[in-house]
Amino acid sequence: MGIFQIIIDYQEAFLKGLWVTVKLSAIIWSVGIFLGGLLGVIAARAPATVGLFVSIGAFFLSGLPILVLLFWLHYPLQATLEIVIEPFITAAFALSIVNTFGVAQVVRDASIDFPQQYILAAKVTGLTSRQALFHIKLPILLRQLIPILLNLQVVMFQSTLFASLISVEEIFRVAQRINSMIYKPVEIYSALGIFFLLICLPLNGLALWLRWKYTRNISET
Amino acid sequence: MLNCRNIYKSYDNNSVLSDVSIELDDGTITALIGPNGAGKSTLLRILACLEPPNSGTLTIGDKQANYPLDMWFRNLQPWPKVTAVFQQLFLWPHLTLRKNILLPLELKKNSSANDIVNEIIEQFDMASFIDRYPNEVSGGQKQRVALARALALKPDYLLLDEITSALDVEQAAEIVKHLNNLKNDGMTILLITHYLGFVRRMADKVIFLENGCIRESGNFEILNNPQTPALISFMNAFSELEALQNNI
Repeated sequence: MGIFQIIIDYQEAFLKGLWVTVKLSAIIWSVGIFLGGLLGVIAARAPATVGLFVSIGAFFLSGLPILVLLFWLHYPLQATLEIVIEPFITAAFALSIVNTFGVAQVVRDASIDFPQQYILAAKVTGLTSRQALFHIKLPILLRQLIPILLNLQVVMFQSTLFASLISVEEIFRVAQRINSMIYKPVEIYSALGIFFLLICLPLNGLALWLRWKYTRNISET
Repeated sequence: MLNCRNIYKSYDNNSVLSDVSIELDDGTITALIGPNGAGKSTLLRILACLEPPNSGTLTIGDKQANYPLDMWFRNLQPWPKVTAVFQQLFLWPHLTLRKNILLPLELKKNSSANDIVNEIIEQFDMASFIDRYPNEVSGGQKQRVALARALALKPDYLLLDEITSALDVEQAAEIVKHLNNLKNDGMTILLITHYLGFVRRMADKVIFLENGCIRESGNFEILNNPQTPALISFMNAFSELEALQNNI
């Protein structure tokens, strides 16, 4: 049985798993980008309080395997609190936290490193603060940030695989189940690889293209 | 008229400017000279209202600010009537050079923005590179664009911080010609430069700043006949450098 035959035979199960993965990714992406962006902007404005919190949070999470975080949140924490939360919600929560802190750190660093002299130049040429923000600061920042954020979102998308550990029926979990029935690991995991390549390569390509097209050296030389 | 009186400025208790008073008469070019760290750029930023002094008075036309400012008093915001071009040019990297000049005019809803920009492109001979981005042109070309961006706004007061540093001799001579024309049109110019040749050729007034204090001021003759030890030493160092360059 070849890869495509397996995909055809189990398409319903794959599609269900795919749908869960897409839902999970959509939640992680939107929460992470919105909250992370907001947190990053606030962190840049209040470096001693929110900024410190973001730095410590991002530092801690960068050293903690996502697998361990998911495990803690799903098993010991829920047992301690004597509550039961649906695995999908736990996974969405855990991965959204990781993405939020990742995005916040990127946005914070870019805001802090932004050369204020461009705003000074805007000032002396008569631009208002609002005009300087919308015509100078945001366009420059977004051009720097979008490729980095796209790469981060690809990593987060791949991290949804870990949700299978806590029994979320996403595509990796579905692949595991099918494999346990027909034992064709090479074909099944290759199919999974093709699926991830199909999603991730265009996104990475887009990030590369945006970087090539729009990211310029913003330091004065 | 643009003037400042009894300006003091310090950073972390380190005095940068001490009791500085200068007056820029309308339609004149004033050159601010002095060794590195004398406080020239700080003074320029204060005159451009980009940072407030600790104490003193700044007058721009009929507006005056007494420092330290009262809590409810906003610092003067005279831009672009007063504008500045800095040593580092800060051309916006996401815009073409043309758009760098055009944007402030467009945002002011200036109906003849395109005509002004086209005229200035011709004046500064920038047509061959004006549609490139700042990272695609040379330092001298960027410097011309930065000056053009400021001039397109038709300011009354133009403050220039070392803008000739990346220009070759011909380009610098062009800039001198432009600045003289602007002065004749009534613009008031303050110029920080290390090129004393420039100062001799176009400054109506020369101010020598050292360690945050004005040591000497007057017309360009003060360069030929310095009176204070500080300016004598500065001019000697300059003459030695010139001799060295001639030998090379």
